[in-house]
Amino acid sequence: MLSVNKVSFGFPHRPILRDFSLTVQKGELVHISGPNGAGKSTLMSLIAGLIPVDRGSITYTDPAGQEVDDRRWWIEYVPAEANGLFPKMNALQNLSFWAKLRGHSQSPKDLEKSLVAELKFWGLSHPLLLGPFPVEKYSTGMKRRLALARLTLSQTPCWLLDEPVYGLDAAATETFRNILDQHLKGGGLAVMISHDLAALKDLSYRKMVLNGDHGETPP
Amino acid sequence: MNSTTTPWTLFWKQYRIFLHHGLKAELADLERIISPVLFSVTMLLVFSFALGDVDPSMKAKVYLAQTFVTALLALQLSFSRIFEPDRLDRVFDQIRTYPISPTAWFSAKYSLVVLLGSSTLLPTIFFGAFLHQTEKQPLFSWSIVLVGMLGLAGLAAMGVLLATMTLKANSRQLLYPILYFPLTTPVLLAAVNASDLILQEGAINDHSAPWLWLLIGFDVIYTTLGVLLYPELVEEG
Repeated sequence: MLSVNKVSFGFPHRPILRDFSLTVQKGELVHISGPNGAGKSTLMSLIAGLIPVDRGSITYTDPAGQEVDDRRWWIEYVPAEANGLFPKMNALQNLSFWAKLRGHSQSPKDLEKSLVAELKFWGLSHPLLLGPFPVEKYSTGMKRRLALARLTLSQTPCWLLDEPVYGLDAAATETFRNILDQHLKGGGLAVMISHDLAALKDLSYRKMVLNGDHGETPP
Repeated sequence: MNSTTTPWTLFWKQYRIFLHHGLKAELADLERIISPVLFSVTMLLVFSFALGDVDPSMKAKVYLAQTFVTALLALQLSFSRIFEPDRLDRVFDQIRTYPISPTAWFSAKYSLVVLLGSSTLLPTIFFGAFLHQTEKQPLFSWSIVLVGMLGLAGLAAMGVLLATMTLKANSRQLLYPILYFPLTTPVLLAAVNASDLILQEGAINDHSAPWLWLLIGFDVIYTTLGVLLYPELVEEG
């Protein structure tokens, strides 16, 4: 369970969030919407641990009911304006780095197998792409697919998704919806920001609106 | 974290991942390795042509001044780009959202910088000696290589710290050298003095040893500062 407890954050003379609270339960998807500049992405950065809160707290409770020491073990974050990919390296090298950093300790052969399977799932397994083809040459949508491939590989129960379908075509958006659906059915949870509601089609979710006035508006 | 994972195994595992991946990232963009070496070679050649025939009594001093200044500038060029692969596409921030050990990250960056710095420093020392030495006055000495490596060990720690500090600064290109040069001057002075005494006296002895200890002292201070401050810098982003 993810809990954001009375969190406040702002820049000098520019409050962004004030006493904001949110609880996301196992199997739940929360969609956060609101006008530009309302603090949606800032909220994601706060939960991901990229910026410290001014006041309040953010905690993650494991299935055994214990509050975890370092919530980053449990959370995978897909940011809005970037994909977190090494541009000069190929898809396998990129995914391999992130998978290893997550602590997966498969043998190199098994790891490569699972990475190739994931790339295949996302339509990125053309022999050219598996070779020394740098990610910087990918299209916007291909880079996004590669970033999303990190989600399932991470095996984390909590996903933070900031505009996850940006640049994706209809087929890839459908693939994304499917993995998100499976993730939620498997007991995972997710917080998502998306101006494109196609990403949420047929999924049940709780809506939360950040009104740009430092707080939330009930849906 | 797996319950059997101790902080030390986590550190070691992540250190290897960061170092291995860092090397791959550098090799994927060879220009980053080749540029400082070419810069060094060009500078040494230009110095050599501009100075012409140097008085034999001054050869050793000219060699040292030229080689260390060239190495310092080339390393500055190299260090300022340490985080280039991480800065692009917000990789640095993505790493910060992972359960990483900042000490493992720093140590891997530091090792990578020492490795890459050696690939610039060693050719500079060899080529500098080659340009100036004569049959009667050999200038190349493994003791000078040792001094150079001790200098590099301190500069590398400072280089990683400063590169992290200026990672997100808009005026990064200006800020980095402004901070780098004053902090590295003591290391450079100790390295030049130690090398001068070694060349004069043919080996490390009681005269040059204090300068070597001073160099080691700077290495310990800068590396300790790096280990202590890096987690804070990474936390702040």
